[in-house]
Amino acid sequence: MAILEIKHVSKFFGGLAANSDVSFAMTEGMIMGLIGPNGAGKTTLFNCITGYYAPSKGEVRFKGKLMNGLEPDAVCKLGMARTWQKVRPLAKMTVADNVMVGALCRTNSLKTARDLAMEQIKVVKLDKKVNFLAGGLTIGERKKLEVARVLATKPELLLLDEVMGGLNPAESEDIIQLILDIKKTGITQMVIEHDMKAIMRISDRIVVLNSGEKLAEGAPEEIVSNPEVVTAYLGESH
Amino acid sequence: MKPFIMKTADTRGSFSPSLIIGIVATAALFCVPSFVQSPYALHMMILLFLSTIVGESWNIIGGYTGQYSVGHAAYYGAGAYGTLILLHKWDIPPWYGMWAGIAAALVLSLIIGSICFRLRGPYFVLASIAVAEIVRITVLNTPGLTNGAEGILLSDLPPLTIGGTVITDFVSKVPFYYISLVLAIFTIVVTWLLQNSKLGYYFQAIREDQDAAHSLGISLKLYKNIALAISAVLTSLAGSFYAIYIKFIDPTTVLALDLSVQIVLIAIIGGIGTIYGPMIGAMVLVPLSEALRSNVIAQGLINSGLVREDSGPGIFLKEHLAHAHVLIYGILVVVVILFMPDGVLGFVKKLTKKRG
Amino acid sequence: MTFSVFVQALISGILVGGVYALIGIGLTIIFGVMRVINFAHGDLMMVGMYLTYFLFTLAGIDPFLSVIITIPLMFIFGGILQKVFINRIIGTLPQNQILLTIGLGLIMSNTAMLAFTSDYKILTTTYSSSSVNILGISVSQPLAVSFLITAGITALLYWFFMKTDTGQAIRATAQDREAAQLMGINVKRMSIISFGLGASLAGTAGALISPTYYIFPQVGSAFTLKAFVITVLGGMGSILGATLGGVIIGVVESVGAVTISSDWKDVLVFSIFLLVLLIKPAGLMGKSRM
Repeated sequence: MAILEIKHVSKFFGGLAANSDVSFAMTEGMIMGLIGPNGAGKTTLFNCITGYYAPSKGEVRFKGKLMNGLEPDAVCKLGMARTWQKVRPLAKMTVADNVMVGALCRTNSLKTARDLAMEQIKVVKLDKKVNFLAGGLTIGERKKLEVARVLATKPELLLLDEVMGGLNPAESEDIIQLILDIKKTGITQMVIEHDMKAIMRISDRIVVLNSGEKLAEGAPEEIVSNPEVVTAYLGESH
Repeated sequence: MKPFIMKTADTRGSFSPSLIIGIVATAALFCVPSFVQSPYALHMMILLFLSTIVGESWNIIGGYTGQYSVGHAAYYGAGAYGTLILLHKWDIPPWYGMWAGIAAALVLSLIIGSICFRLRGPYFVLASIAVAEIVRITVLNTPGLTNGAEGILLSDLPPLTIGGTVITDFVSKVPFYYISLVLAIFTIVVTWLLQNSKLGYYFQAIREDQDAAHSLGISLKLYKNIALAISAVLTSLAGSFYAIYIKFIDPTTVLALDLSVQIVLIAIIGGIGTIYGPMIGAMVLVPLSEALRSNVIAQGLINSGLVREDSGPGIFLKEHLAHAHVLIYGILVVVVILFMPDGVLGFVKKLTKKRG
Repeated sequence: MTFSVFVQALISGILVGGVYALIGIGLTIIFGVMRVINFAHGDLMMVGMYLTYFLFTLAGIDPFLSVIITIPLMFIFGGILQKVFINRIIGTLPQNQILLTIGLGLIMSNTAMLAFTSDYKILTTTYSSSSVNILGISVSQPLAVSFLITAGITALLYWFFMKTDTGQAIRATAQDREAAQLMGINVKRMSIISFGLGASLAGTAGALISPTYYIFPQVGSAFTLKAFVITVLGGMGSILGATLGGVIIGVVESVGAVTISSDWKDVLVFSIFLLVLLIKPAGLMGKSRM
């Protein structure tokens, strides 16, 4: 059974169709790349999947269960977690506390949460900055923090929204390794990214969105040689 | 932006130095009435405790959860009126009456929560003010129950008896001192417990970034309402105490917007979102208020020679400064917001960091 | 309650609503341009009322004529407030902004209390209690005149925002502050002008209402809350919305006072406020982002 099914999902804002009849499915453990020019509707789709928007049409099914209309906190508890395009650290709280907030999704005990949090902090290699206030971290560190925080909620499906945005090559490489390590633990991932090389390396399959519609879907090699995909990106300054 | 590479300020551990200081201070405060007999001094301490209670209570929803209610007078008034109405009309002693106040405050907080929490920031502030005003006007216009504008005047408190023995007849200020001290400690302990619990983490996450918190499995509705309910109950306890201590309440003293603003002020002056903040705020505002009221400041300015007693300003100060405490509150708010948005605590921290 | 009483209340409500609209428009301009929720708005109105009162009692200037003086004076006052205090907190936590304006309002009202005492002052002109006959309905003359002046001012505002460069620059700033700045608009100055405008509108509303309302230092707070109800009802940032909102609230109050009771009319107004926040927080003209 597919872990995530997007069935003819559309999202309208007034007259504007931010997502238009998008359908695809994800199997457990895979990494799906979600690409497309700016404004294609990628983040909107994320928001529809994770409960920030209710789809205007269509269904989102997670492990067979209908997710339309569920609140974001319910979505998280069911096992889907997302990071944010514009990173959202809990600024006045420490790195440890930030990740603990994630961990507290799965436990009521502060001690257990702290242990869980420390695990994830080590995974993203932020352990030297455990007691630093999140507001004082660099952008690369904040992105890692967000991943650790979201991993602490023990998701089955992780949605990463431009997690490499604004990072230098070394930091991006760290993140790529992180994503591949996460895959090894069995967590399914959907990754929105503009960095084509990175997407090629990590994705099992890729979905291309353009102007709200699904333009193409397939293996990385197919996508990269798809003429329509290339046209959609022409004129994009990357 | 200068990165603030600060370690967390607030103590998390169980046996930190702050806890020890707290215990010592509490013990000392308990001993005070044995040495201090002056009713005036005791009164000042009681006001200090009362201010601490309302400040800490507000902090739970305002400082920790980031929802600035400027309508907390509604809960204060609920406690005050709940207690006195039951006592005045049906002779029900305040130890039971205060539960009516708590119940009323709880109901109010749930109503306010359900209406207002879907609103962001400033709209929440406005809605909280509107609800408090509705409560005030309703109390004002139901004289059958509340005596309306006249207020309720209590002549005597029933003595506190356990079994057959009279513990106190409430004539002196001492029992009030202890009650308010216990309430203040209770409120501080509740805040401390919250801070070191899952609730505390969730409240602060909501304050820092509501959407992020939501995506991490935190039900905004549930936790905002919990924070508000706790805050409302504690504030209503303060109102109940005020009612039996001062023995007179009316809509202007316990339900007005001025009071709500004062409550917020206590919390933000010291340092919002910290345990010490409201205590510091109380320690600044209560003496300041009193100094104004009793003309100490006016007299001081005159005695120091800055102002001549029979000059225009001198006469003006002597006559009017006493009534000016709300004006001073206004000035304080402006000064704090402009120059010390993190309160006195934050300001001091910034100063010490620059040196260190 | 007879039909004619109802109609009379309705008409009074519309007339008062015009003045309310002025208050609401001022507030919505300030919010639209700076996203600042000005809790001192009613107190600005109070300043206008006292200004008008003293111009009348000391210089014998008719309150409706003195609007010519009140408008520029209040504009300058508002501009100073903006430059000295409010400009510093644009973009900070909205809660802090509200607290700052609350503080400023407290300073204004309590200074007035110290300076003029809490005594209610009444501004009685020769025509304060006269009425005018419109279409067979007896209507308070001062109200009718103030409505006309309000209509005139609203028309002027419309011309200002639609036809002048400054007005359009302000609209651009309200729509997108950053974009406006990139286009070369001095957004700080636009903010000062907007606050000055908002203050002068509030002050003018105070001037217009002074022949028919008691004047005392705390009069502002009731109007501030009302102003918010009006702007939220109309849609924060929408001038047309504020106009509509003002008239609606004026009518609700007036009709409410004769149908239910005048004690409870404020509860009615606040309840509408909460209802709007619950059902359609963006208001009638729904421009705000929440």
